[in-house]
Amino acid sequence: MNQACAESQSPEAAGTQLLPAELGALYSAHSRAIYYLALRFLGDPQKAEDATHDVFLKALRHLDQFRGQAAARTWLYRIAINHCKNMRQAWHERHVLPGSDSDFCERAAGGDSPLRVLETKELGARIQQALDGLGAEYRLLLLLVSDQELSYEQVGALTGQSADAVRGKLFRARKAFAALFAKTE
Amino acid sequence: MNQHDKFSAGRHQEQAGEAQAARAGVREFQTAEELLRHDAAQTAVPPEIVRRLSQSIAQSAPARRPWWRKLLG
Repeated sequence: MNQACAESQSPEAAGTQLLPAELGALYSAHSRAIYYLALRFLGDPQKAEDATHDVFLKALRHLDQFRGQAAARTWLYRIAINHCKNMRQAWHERHVLPGSDSDFCERAAGGDSPLRVLETKELGARIQQALDGLGAEYRLLLLLVSDQELSYEQVGALTGQSADAVRGKLFRARKAFAALFAKTE
Repeated sequence: MNQHDKFSAGRHQEQAGEAQAARAGVREFQTAEELLRHDAAQTAVPPEIVRRLSQSIAQSAPARRPWWRKLLG
């Protein structure tokens, strides 16, 4: 690879020449989405790094199952969701007992106003704090819907529900998130 | 709403929010998804992951077949 190519590549593509070609291509295109899902779902950068590593390793081992069956992004998300849920079950849910999403939504007030933020380094921490206050279902739903490559139908398929159910829960999830985010100021 | 509608509606909302934010000196997001998209765009993937993946793949590669097995078939 010449220098001009190396300089123009995305940060995610850096170093992917060390990987088998098929995995390198998947990693360049999808690692940011997978890492972000893991980071905000698990709430821990080190665990997100571990999860992203494990997801792509699993993907490599099961590449034969993937070919031609689904969009690569959806397939990787499915692996990531299962993996992150297993990780959370192993450690997080033993210590944290949040109320259910629907309970919280009933109590949430003022969740319809826009989310105003100053650009600060603490923004990520505020977002994480708000997401941590949600139950796993709403958190996952918001993270998946925020990916513009996924349709509501695909989000529904990934979370085991219809697109209409996604739309209904999304409304409540947004409201709950906005109320929690406002409390982080 | 199909995928295209979802994207164009979201994009329109984002553009309106961005224009307002520029005027006020703060960013404004209409929905949680917009905020999360912004956050995702700011989040870098640690470069260590590629190195770890490369090492894991090298370690899990099957052992080479010994020469005497090749001779015996």
